[in-house]
Amino acid sequence: MFTGASPSLPRFGLRFLFGVVWDPVHGIFGVAPEILGTLVTSGIALLISVPLSIGAAIFLSEHAPAWLRDPVGYVIELLAAVPSVVFGFWGLAVLVPLMQGSVDPWLQSAFGWSPLLGGPNGGGRNILTASVVLAVMVTPTISAVTRESLAAVPRDQREAALSLGATRWEATRLAVLRYARTGIFGGIILGLGRALGETMAVTMTIGNKNAFSGSLISPGQTMSSLIANEFTEATGKLYVSALVEIGLVLLLVTLLVNIVARLLVWRVVRGGAVAGGA
Amino acid sequence: MSSANANQSATTTPPADTIVRKKSRTGPIIAIVVVILIVIILLVAYQAGWLTAKKSTKYSFTGAGSTFVFPLVNTWELNYNSSSSSVNYQGVGSGAGIQQITAKTVDFGASDAPLSATQKSAASGILQFPESAGGVAIIYNLATVTGQVRFTGAVLAQIYLGTITNWNDARLQSIQAAGVTLPSGSITVVYRSDGSGTSFVYTSYLSAENATWKATVGHGTAVHWPAGIGAKGSSAVTSTVKTTPGAIGYVDLEYALANGVTFGAVQNPSSLTDFVSPTLASTGSAIADFSGTFPGGAGDWGNISILNSAGAGDYPITSLTYFLFYQDLGTAYGSSYSMAKAQALVAWFNWAIHTGQSYSAALYYVPLPANLVAIDAATLASMTFNGQAIPVT
Repeated sequence: MFTGASPSLPRFGLRFLFGVVWDPVHGIFGVAPEILGTLVTSGIALLISVPLSIGAAIFLSEHAPAWLRDPVGYVIELLAAVPSVVFGFWGLAVLVPLMQGSVDPWLQSAFGWSPLLGGPNGGGRNILTASVVLAVMVTPTISAVTRESLAAVPRDQREAALSLGATRWEATRLAVLRYARTGIFGGIILGLGRALGETMAVTMTIGNKNAFSGSLISPGQTMSSLIANEFTEATGKLYVSALVEIGLVLLLVTLLVNIVARLLVWRVVRGGAVAGGA
Repeated sequence: MSSANANQSATTTPPADTIVRKKSRTGPIIAIVVVILIVIILLVAYQAGWLTAKKSTKYSFTGAGSTFVFPLVNTWELNYNSSSSSVNYQGVGSGAGIQQITAKTVDFGASDAPLSATQKSAASGILQFPESAGGVAIIYNLATVTGQVRFTGAVLAQIYLGTITNWNDARLQSIQAAGVTLPSGSITVVYRSDGSGTSFVYTSYLSAENATWKATVGHGTAVHWPAGIGAKGSSAVTSTVKTTPGAIGYVDLEYALANGVTFGAVQNPSSLTDFVSPTLASTGSAIADFSGTFPGGAGDWGNISILNSAGAGDYPITSLTYFLFYQDLGTAYGSSYSMAKAQALVAWFNWAIHTGQSYSAALYYVPLPANLVAIDAATLASMTFNGQAIPVT
């Protein structure tokens, strides 16, 4: 990748990371809007999917009756294996008309005063839509891993908590979740990785505009969707190498985000162990 | 994972009957997997033609490039009956096609745009064959308007620059035919987000028509679009326009005709009142009426533009696509080629520019006009194998 990006690396330097204009005609390449787009879509996707998937996993492994547990568990694991283009198509066919017809106009009229949800909307194809599709995509991954970690908690742990007079919810929260949290965080990081690198489903729903307006209902672009959009017809050495350099940046961003996430997990887990005492 | 957990819990708790049932399921599962595998292998075998009598060909040629011509080349592949050769074309995009023919990993390339001077010098001895003409149609979504909406190049440029933002803008309304009243409503501009030959043609047209566009945006397979939203591929542009009231977009004429999308008429440069609807005839005549002289296959096509052809009734946003071959197949590919193989390749393309053109109209492609067929035939005759002329059959 370094070799592929060698023509554009020295030419743009740090301007590549902070430039906001992507203009192949005039040979100006900056990917700041795409870096922001990638981080924002993945972040919102996690905000939506983490409570949802952990809730689903807790329900399935701790509270659901046995006849419901296995079938629903299988369905969730199946969803994790569905190719992303299918999610993208679902987004295009179901979510986009919904956003276009009701959600976006409502958000605009209710919160249009804030720059976060104002501005022109992209006909249902925007950063929020892509984030929701990503959330739906990573939910099965996170909840499948969470379910496995919860299942790995020894039964003694629950029985001990219950016998001390804990309610069912208290037992889940204090004994089970705390015991399984490393696995759960692992699942979240796995989901984050999938969201950061996702290409197809995002390209189909994000609106593909090489700018980041700050509004969630405006079209945007992520690094991977920009590569997918322009790589096939890219002509000229500099253009192609700029696209390869995006790949390099994406790799670095993913690495960085993962390191930060790991550090967070490490801190939380260690801090928890001290506070937990017993 | 789940079976490991089951085992784990089996050691700490008395075995429940569910665990026993799970173990006995392994047998049937293996059987099902085996059956599925056999079915897949049979399907592959059928698809690959292992089960049927195989049509054996001596030479197989590979091409790569433009997605625009893919349906046409695919039809040629199916209809070209020759015992000596078969052709496999991959629509990977013009940029990738040019790269692959330059690297000599394919036998021919196809591009929606002519080679630039740099590209041409990188692939020395390359020949360009104009093949298949295309128009770019302006599609829109205005449910209340019954007549065909008219556009001029200047108006289109201002819409795409974001300076005309409402359908009832006086600059747009004043050019409409009597009885066509455009509603008040904002214009949603839609463009191709992926690099595309269609964008190349369309932005070239806007550059020719509007000085501001030329200076600030320019032309290319992907540009820095000043306004609007992007959609990946012709199909996404079409569906975005179809589902967004007040949207405007541009797609290949071939795609617009095949999918029955509403498109507008565009002003012909010869007369202020001549608004031409894109059809196979109006696109074909634009090429036939080209005022300059076409170079030969070895010449420079970079400056050839058939935009704004001046004949009455010519559609202004038209372009050519190009096939790329090396002039001397012996020097280009070395020992992997023989005279007979070179002859088979030339015979195939000769068939494509003559008989192959009869498949164009049904697929909504503009058949190659006679003046270009003559140029292609002459270029084909100039091809050599290690310096020897290749007989065209």
